[in-house]
Amino acid sequence: MDTDSLYQQIKTILVEQFEMNESAITPDANLYEELELDSIDAVDLLVQLKELTGKKISPDVFKDVRTIRDVMGALAES
Amino acid sequence: MKHLHYIYRFVGTALFWFVFGLTGLLIGFVVIPLLYLFVRRPGKRQVATRRLLSAAFSVFVWTACASRLISCKVAGMEHWDPDRSQLLLANHPTLIDVVILLSLFPQIDCVIKEAVTRNPVLRVPAASANYISNRAPDDLLESCVTRLRSGASLLLFPEGTRSVEGQPLKFKLGAAEIAIRARAQILPIVIDCRPQLLAKHVPWYKIPPSPPHFAITILPPVDASQYLSDQDGPRRARYTLNGALESMITSAMS
Repeated sequence: MDTDSLYQQIKTILVEQFEMNESAITPDANLYEELELDSIDAVDLLVQLKELTGKKISPDVFKDVRTIRDVMGALAES
Repeated sequence: MKHLHYIYRFVGTALFWFVFGLTGLLIGFVVIPLLYLFVRRPGKRQVATRRLLSAAFSVFVWTACASRLISCKVAGMEHWDPDRSQLLLANHPTLIDVVILLSLFPQIDCVIKEAVTRNPVLRVPAASANYISNRAPDDLLESCVTRLRSGASLLLFPEGTRSVEGQPLKFKLGAAEIAIRARAQILPIVIDCRPQLLAKHVPWYKIPPSPPHFAITILPPVDASQYLSDQDGPRRARYTLNGALESMITSAMS
């Protein structure tokens, strides 16, 4: 999956599952502070990303993730 | 006289923890291995282990009360329904909350720290009792929901750690989320311990100025599904329920 379509898919998850405002989502927006992702959403997001990509980001790595760009970086590394 | 009473309580507390530890060793290294030998079916072993732990905890609580090291009062036990699945949510002021609660509710599930599953003494009893480890956060939510749906009752401390005295209760979202997903019946439990005993970072030998009194109040059950309305999705519901639980327990304490 190329980077751009991955970004779109993550964006879709954020909008549809976590009721985020689409216009507020940018690759560098802070998931927690600006987009109000909470701890439960973070766990759900990990599960959904695993279903989407087949890759599992470890919770330890995810702790340092702040933006969608970080998420994609973590996926690329795992 | 006051001085003498303090010495009595200090020695009593030391002796109490010594026997507590010794019993733990005995259960972990002798009794549970024997149980593994004679009770082959994991399900039966789980019931037997929990019964044993609960009985041991009851003896400890009874002894501590009888020797006036602590005093204890329980109210609202009629809200507990052993025949159905309930999610017990309590605040967590002291280290021995779980000892008291497991003595009252022998067969309930609880979540243990991952460290416990690696502790040489506690590892075997915890596995034999089939308690849930908090190892992976995503599995943890699912395991808790699965157990509740299968009809078990589960005890959680929604703060995730011990309460900080003098600060408002702050629950993590996990407990409310589990309740919502399992459509659980919640039993809010208020633990009020004065003066404070065994708070976080307080060593056992710093005993409080007078014997701590535990007032344990089981509040009427709350159905999580009533927080799921059509307008607000489950995401909103976890916040509403969490806030409601925080204020329910907080207001019952003051």
